[in-house]
Amino acid sequence: MRRRIFLGLLGLYFGLPLLAALLYSVATRWTDTPLPDGYTLDHWIGVFGKPDVTSALLRSLLLSAVVVVVDVLLVVPAAYWSVVHNPRIGSVVQTIAVIPFAVPWVVVGAGLQLVTASFAPGLFGTFWLLAAATAAIAFPFMYWAVEGSLIAAGAVRLSEAAATCGANPVQTLTRVIFPAIRGGVVSGALLVVATAMNEFALAKILVGAKFETLPIWSARQFVSRTLGDPNALAVVTIFTFGFLFALSALVVRLGRGRVSTIGRTLR
Amino acid sequence: MSHVVLEDVTKRYAGHVALAGVSVSVEQGEMLALLGPSGCGKTTLLRCVAGLTAFDSGRLTIGGVDMTGVPVRRRPIGMVFQSYALFPNLTVRGNIGFPLTVRRETKTGVAERVEEMLELVGLSEQGDRLPNQLSGGQQQRVALARALAPRPEVLLLDEPLSALDAQVRHRLRDEVRRIQHQVGITTVFVTHDQAEALAISDRVAVMNAGDIEQCAAPSEIYTAPSTRFAAGFVGNRNTLELRTSGGRVTAGGAFDVEAPWERVLCMFRPEDVSLRREGPGARALVDVTVFLGATTRVYVQAEVNGSPATVFADLPSRAAASLSPGDAVRLSVDPGHVQVFPA
Repeated sequence: MRRRIFLGLLGLYFGLPLLAALLYSVATRWTDTPLPDGYTLDHWIGVFGKPDVTSALLRSLLLSAVVVVVDVLLVVPAAYWSVVHNPRIGSVVQTIAVIPFAVPWVVVGAGLQLVTASFAPGLFGTFWLLAAATAAIAFPFMYWAVEGSLIAAGAVRLSEAAATCGANPVQTLTRVIFPAIRGGVVSGALLVVATAMNEFALAKILVGAKFETLPIWSARQFVSRTLGDPNALAVVTIFTFGFLFALSALVVRLGRGRVSTIGRTLR
Repeated sequence: MSHVVLEDVTKRYAGHVALAGVSVSVEQGEMLALLGPSGCGKTTLLRCVAGLTAFDSGRLTIGGVDMTGVPVRRRPIGMVFQSYALFPNLTVRGNIGFPLTVRRETKTGVAERVEEMLELVGLSEQGDRLPNQLSGGQQQRVALARALAPRPEVLLLDEPLSALDAQVRHRLRDEVRRIQHQVGITTVFVTHDQAEALAISDRVAVMNAGDIEQCAAPSEIYTAPSTRFAAGFVGNRNTLELRTSGGRVTAGGAFDVEAPWERVLCMFRPEDVSLRREGPGARALVDVTVFLGATTRVYVQAEVNGSPATVFADLPSRAAASLSPGDAVRLSVDPGHVQVFPA
């Protein structure tokens, strides 16, 4: 009974704000009444017709895509190396992975701004600097997910088995290890996308209005109350939540027991 | 010339000696079992042959070719792991074909060899299944087929049957032997199960503390162990610590053998013990009888050279049926079957 009450309260805690945002996104007017005065889909239809919203959405998606690619390419081989070939560096990587959480992202952004202004002015204020910084702060999510998958899949034994089969390290990684940890990579990628999609501090400090991402656009709706569009903000909030939720569901569905190409071709 | 030769191979782990100068050779087509307790170095030795563990000093040749520094993937070996280590994303066919596809063999060649291997291990009907859809025994057969698929010169088996239940283990043990004979491949087989080692290998190397105590045919290991450890580790044995007199040990009349030391350990198998109602031998009282099917294990309390000693005998169950706890018997052992080692 207690458990049910706890879960119910938890559901309310997470569900009510989303429900409120959803109602606001379809409300004609909602000020001092428990429920909106009326309902409309105009905000949903109109918001994606706004060039600033679509541009911000595309920028956030682009940032997420680049960050995911960078993190997958860097973290998967690194995690594989630390788990399979050099477990001693695992503790070092674990320590590094904590840094993004120990140091406020505002400080990371300000530090990067100072460093690039002095030593790499070409990078200062660019999308690539933002992508690199976001990849750096999001990498622990990828690392933890991939490391957990490698251990769970028995990557050490699988690598040894692949080697005794005659596979070189690249074949081992691409044909044995990666398919075995695909679930972990995808989970990590999802967390990285969520981080990149919602990252505000770095984007604000490093690129600001020059590359307005969805979180910066959202913040602008609050700051400029007279010009802002709170209904559109509610639409974007619900859309972002729905997008990430759908992505998670898709990922879970696709990750279930698939047979790789080699298995199919040999049937 | 021997097919696999290890000469004075040593390996240390942070001060612990895993292999203390092991020398052993395996003949072409022979199956050698590395038998010993946990931590004796048998798996380390196998991994050294595979190249998965680098040894500190010594030499390894396979087919006369020095394997020192040769990476695992270039060694002419196939290996079966205790935990199967099948690739979970690949079907049975995918797993068996994997060593062939990484060697860039033709699709037709791969498909033909995979079917041949499936037939060899009796899994033709399960080719399209994933490893997690197979039983433990089936998974181990797939692992065996995968190891044999690229026609390696040497097959390495690392406790391949220990994760299986007894019935499947016995069946698969005989099947491994059949397949090894059929393929005629030189095989090194690691196990801690003495029955398994004795049943399927041509020779058994009994290992202890990083070295080989005795390497001989299973029958010789069983009947004439050359060291105290080999005698104690392989099979069931009675062990009596006795004093000698005039270069002989008599065991209260149970046996009379030569013993060139002052104190000795006399070891003999329970099937070599005779229990009679009357006649020569040491006096003993039946303590417990344990019915084992064809045989019955009879524990007796004997008086040996003035000290009490517990001895067990494996007798045919029909012969043991007349014995009950408390019965007085005479205990004797064929002197030819008593091994004597310094205490």
